[in-house]
Formats: sequence, C-alpha cells, structure tokens
Amino acid sequence: MKLTLNNENIYVATGGQEFDNSLPTVVFLHGSGLDHRSWALQTRWFAFHGYSVIAPDFPGHSLSKGKALDSIEDMADWLWQLLDKMDVKVCSLVGHSQGGLVALEAAATHPDRVRSISLIGCAAAIPVNEHLLAIAESDQPAAVDAMLTWGFGEAYQFGRSHVPGQAPMGIGWQIMCNNPLHADLSACQKYSNGENAAQKITSPAQLILAENDRMTPIKMGRGLTAQLQNVSSHIELDKVGHMIPIEAPEKCLSELQAFITNI
Amino acid sequence: MSKSSFFDPQTIALHTGYQPDSEHGSRAVPIYQTTSYAFQDVSHGAALFNVERGGHIYSRMTNPTVAVLEQRMAALEGGVGCVCTASGMSALFTTFASLCSAGDHIVSAAQIYGSTATLLGHTLRRFGIETTFVDVNDHQGIKDAIQENTKLLFCETIGNPSLDVADIPALAKIGEEAHLPLVVDATFSTPVLQNPISQGANVVIHSLTKWIGGSGNSIGGAIVDGGNFEWGDPDKDRQFPTVCEPYTPFHGINFYEEFGPSALSMRIRAESMRDFGSTLSPQNAFYLLQGLESLSLRMPKHVENAESLAQWLLKNEAVDWVNHPSLDSHPNKDLAKELLPNGAGSILSFGVKGGRQAGAAFMDALQLATNLANVGDSRTLVLHPGSTTHSRMDAEAMKAAGISEDLIRVSVGIESLRDIKGDFSRGLKAAQKVAAVAQGE
Repeated sequence: MKLTLNNENIYVATGGQEFDNSLPTVVFLHGSGLDHRSWALQTRWFAFHGYSVIAPDFPGHSLSKGKALDSIEDMADWLWQLLDKMDVKVCSLVGHSQGGLVALEAAATHPDRVRSISLIGCAAAIPVNEHLLAIAESDQPAAVDAMLTWGFGEAYQFGRSHVPGQAPMGIGWQIMCNNPLHADLSACQKYSNGENAAQKITSPAQLILAENDRMTPIKMGRGLTAQLQNVSSHIELDKVGHMIPIEAPEKCLSELQAFITNI
Repeated sequence: MSKSSFFDPQTIALHTGYQPDSEHGSRAVPIYQTTSYAFQDVSHGAALFNVERGGHIYSRMTNPTVAVLEQRMAALEGGVGCVCTASGMSALFTTFASLCSAGDHIVSAAQIYGSTATLLGHTLRRFGIETTFVDVNDHQGIKDAIQENTKLLFCETIGNPSLDVADIPALAKIGEEAHLPLVVDATFSTPVLQNPISQGANVVIHSLTKWIGGSGNSIGGAIVDGGNFEWGDPDKDRQFPTVCEPYTPFHGINFYEEFGPSALSMRIRAESMRDFGSTLSPQNAFYLLQGLESLSLRMPKHVENAESLAQWLLKNEAVDWVNHPSLDSHPNKDLAKELLPNGAGSILSFGVKGGRQAGAAFMDALQLATNLANVGDSRTLVLHPGSTTHSRMDAEAMKAAGISEDLIRVSVGIESLRDIKGDFSRGLKAAQKVAAVAQGE
C-alpha cells in the first residue's frame, strides 16, 4: 500500500492482503540496501493466516521516496511514526540484519508496544568493513558484489533458488544497486546502542542465526542472545549464509510461525 | 546492469542450480519425469499455491530438471529469472502475450525469423495486437514508429537470415527514452558470444533448440528476465498493467510490488505457463542441459569454421555473393566487432551464379551438409529460405527482411573445415554446370 509520511510517498507491503489493524500485526524490517521483497514468502503466509503485515521500504529504498535515514535511531523513530499513522498500537517486530538493529532500537524505545521481537542474522552491533564502506560510496556495484559474495552461503553461490527458475543473486544485485547502500552501511557502522537496547527489551525474543553468516558471524549473534532478558527461541541454521530470509525462507518461516503464533 | 553469479560462464553452464543431491549424490542433473509433487499436508499445499512457500506443484508450471536449466540460463545471461518453454516460438508468444493485450502495439525489427514475423504480423493481429516493422538499423524510423500504445521493442541480435547486426545499446537507449522494454531474440549469438542484458536489453529470448542444445534432438525455448526494467514508475506516461496492476486470478497480486525486478518472470510463470501450458519437458531439459555444458567449447569452433568458409566462398568463381558479419563487405562489420568480439555467429548466407536453379543444384549435390529447416546443429545445415521458412512472406516483405530468392542459408557446423569445403566444392561444381547450361541457352 502507498502512504504519505513526512510529506514523502512511501510503500508498505502488506503480504497481498488489505491491511487491517484489528488483527495482530507483524512488522518485517529489511536489511541494508534491500527492500520488502526480502520477505516476499513470509509476509504472504502471515497475511493469509490471521495477521496483518507491514513490510515497509525504508525512505529512499525501492518503492519509497525520500532521503535515506542516516542512523538506526532515526529509522526506529520513523518506524514508530509509520505505525502511529497506521494506528498500530502493538506489534511483533521481525528484523533482518540492519532491520534487526532497527527492531532492537524500536523495541527499546517503546517496549510496551512490542508483543515479540525476532532478530534474524543480527547482532548487537554490525561493524562494517572500512573498505566496504568506502566502495559503497565510490563504486556501489563493487560494494554490492562484495556484499552478495559475503552475504550468500555456498548453495546460493551455486545458483540455488527456493523459487524455481529465479536467480536470487541477480535479484539482490538489481535491488541493492539501486538503493542507498552507503547510507545504510554507515548507519550500521555507527550504531552503538545495541547492547543497551537489548537489555531494555522485556517482550519474548527470538534469534535466528546462520552457521555460515560472514556478515554477522554467529558468535556475535550468540552475544546478543546473552543480552536479551526473555529469549524463548534461539535457532542456528546449518549451511546457510547471512541472507537467511532468502536463503532459507521455509525454515525461517517455520521458526517465525512457531514463535509468533504461540505468543 | 545485472549480475547473477560470481562464476565464469563455463562454470555456470556446468554447476549453477544443482549440487549433488543429498539422498543419492547424483552428479548429473536427474530427470524428474513426474507430472506432480506430493504436498506434505493440506497447509503445505495451500502455501505453495499462494506463493507463501517456494517449490513445485505441477510440471506444467515448474519442474526441478527444467528449473536447473532455467537457473543456468538466467545466470549465463545475467538475468534475475528465466522461464523455459516448449520451443523458441512459444517463448516469443508467451513474452508478447504477457506484456501486451488487445489494443497494444509492438515495434519490431523487419529482419527477423519468418515464423516470428508471421506471429507478429498475422497471428497477434487477430488478437488485437498490432506490429510495425522497421529496418533494425533505421533508428529514427524505430523512434517514429513508437505509439502511445506501444508496449515493447523487439529485434534479433543477428537477424535470421539477413544477418543484420542489431545495435543493442542504441535500441536500448531508444527504449529507455520511451520507457519501453527491449526484447531481444539472442538465439543466433548464444550467451557465449553476446549478453544483451549487459548491453541494455531487458528481456532475452533463446531458441534452446539451436546451438545451446547443439545436437538437433530437442525443441525448447527460454525467456530470461533481465530485471532491469522499471515496470512501475508512476511518473511515466507509459504503464504496464499486466505486470503492475492487481491480478484477479491470483488474490489480486501485484507482481511488480511483490517481486520487483523479477515481476515479469513471475507473471509469466503464474499466468502463461498455467494458461498456455507451453511447458518444456524434463526429458528435453536434460538433453538441452547436456548441450549447454559444452556450449562454450563448441561456439568458438562454429565461429572459426563460419568465418573461414565465408572467406573461402568469397574467392570461389561460382559464388555471386557472400554474407557474414565478419566480412569487410558486411554493412555492420564494425558493429559486430564491437558487440560480438568473439564472433558474429555461425550462420552465413550466399548466392550462386545462375540464380534459383543453380542454387537448387548446389543444394541437391551436397552429401555432408543437410538440407533442412533448422540451425545451430553441430552438423552443417543448409536451407533455401525463399521456398521454406520464409515462403509465407510476400516479395515486398522478403525484400524488407533482406532475403533474395537465390539466398542459401548455411548453419556452419563443427565438422572438419576441409570436409565442409569438399562438400561445398561438389555443390558449387553442380551449380556451375547448371549456370553454364542456362547461359548457353
């Protein structure tokens, strides 16, 4: 659905169903340089099984206009403005990578409005390699190359796709080359409030981590688990890289289903 | 701009989309000769139908063997997805029907395969889709032919059989300025010689039957979605409702919003494969995969033989004219060098002195080369288009397509060049005899 927020046209995917704020709401937050399509399969399941879904493109990303936000804190503020506009009082937050940092920060600022939090391929901090940050500014396609190489696990490097006939690497390339990657990576680089935010979160938490994640190594994800008060689901996936919602969509969905539908 | 794999093309052709399966460890891609796939339970089946989970439902839409071929083709062309079809023609029809509705319009190069010209000029017209044909290198003419209801530009990388080379970057620029996708049939160039998406094209069509299969045993087609066309730009006057408007038979899905770069290939899968059913069989996909594995080795030999044979024919006194983009006389020689640096394919055409009857004598005297209606086989093939593939075109359309009555099309194979020349020498001698008799009369 298309909305206007802060005088900018923005896009919020709703999983193929009309948004209905009388239903429990699940909010999906994308990672650096990506958009709502990271969650194409998961959002449709929740939208067709009794939930309302919000999967926004952050400002300046894909179908949302406006200038990219330059800090995780600003993204969290923007998210609450969006949820206020959509009259969502309480929600489950699901975030991948940078989206996980936004979920952490958002949940810490309004813990009473968060029913649950699912953090996927995430850690309390996501420091970005200086070289990657530099080329994201000077040569974005090279930075996208590097991120896709590091981001996807072996099977996807070999052209695997859960959707027959599709080329996820090519899709990722098209989306990331056209989105404000440098602004996103800079925001991740300078975010330092993750541990503090995690400690303020009281709602049930879930972590879905991946064995072959080279962007947010699994030990950093485990460190985040240790900071959260109420972790009821900690999953570590074999043979999967950083792009968990795309690389392991079914496992990711199954774990989200098991966690969110039982809260 | 699109990049779908970090492997080189030779590696993609052998490995992409399949690793030895966990159950049996099969190194070769298995042939999944099945119509359908068991659901784990009712909710699993429902989720597959509603695109909440990826996977296979029914082999008319997707099949694991076919999917490997699709994913390899997408990676080789630098696309975001691929849909394989029962033939190259069904790939073309499916693409046109997925982007156009009654009342829409196509601008096509005039120099294209005869059946494609018939599809565009006659068959689609019956369904209310009009086509304007323009010389592929008349760029101003192409611009002038674009109408408000135009939905795509179409050309072949190397025209069949005229061998005009399309200036893909220039045509893509025309498309970009008019907010129109450039659909390119790249059958004659194959992914080894040219990647049109990297040159600005948006959709690439292949007849897999030809060089990709290479053995002349299987019919198949492919539609590669470049993912590099902005279907849903609200600021543009030209809109693409088949991709960007809610699709009622699928819970009102908006393919563009849901799938973005891969919207077209998802739409083709969801509608065209379901409704038209022009499915590639898994058995054929397997044969075509065998061909794809060695394509990068075969194409240089095809090109080497074609270029050498063209030069040799040029020097033969029985030959009136020769056409191949590598020749100095070809009007697009420089363009071919620029866009196809590893060779402009292995089709050449020529005419023998003595006209139509001498040409027929040439054809009938051949023993090694086969007279048939196909190209891209590893074996050398010859054809007289005027009496076969392009016989449904009138004289004016033939001329516009760059085809003369005496034109003999040769699909140069990878046999020994000495043997091909020996066979052609036999044919040319027969042609000379007929020409001499005709001249005596």
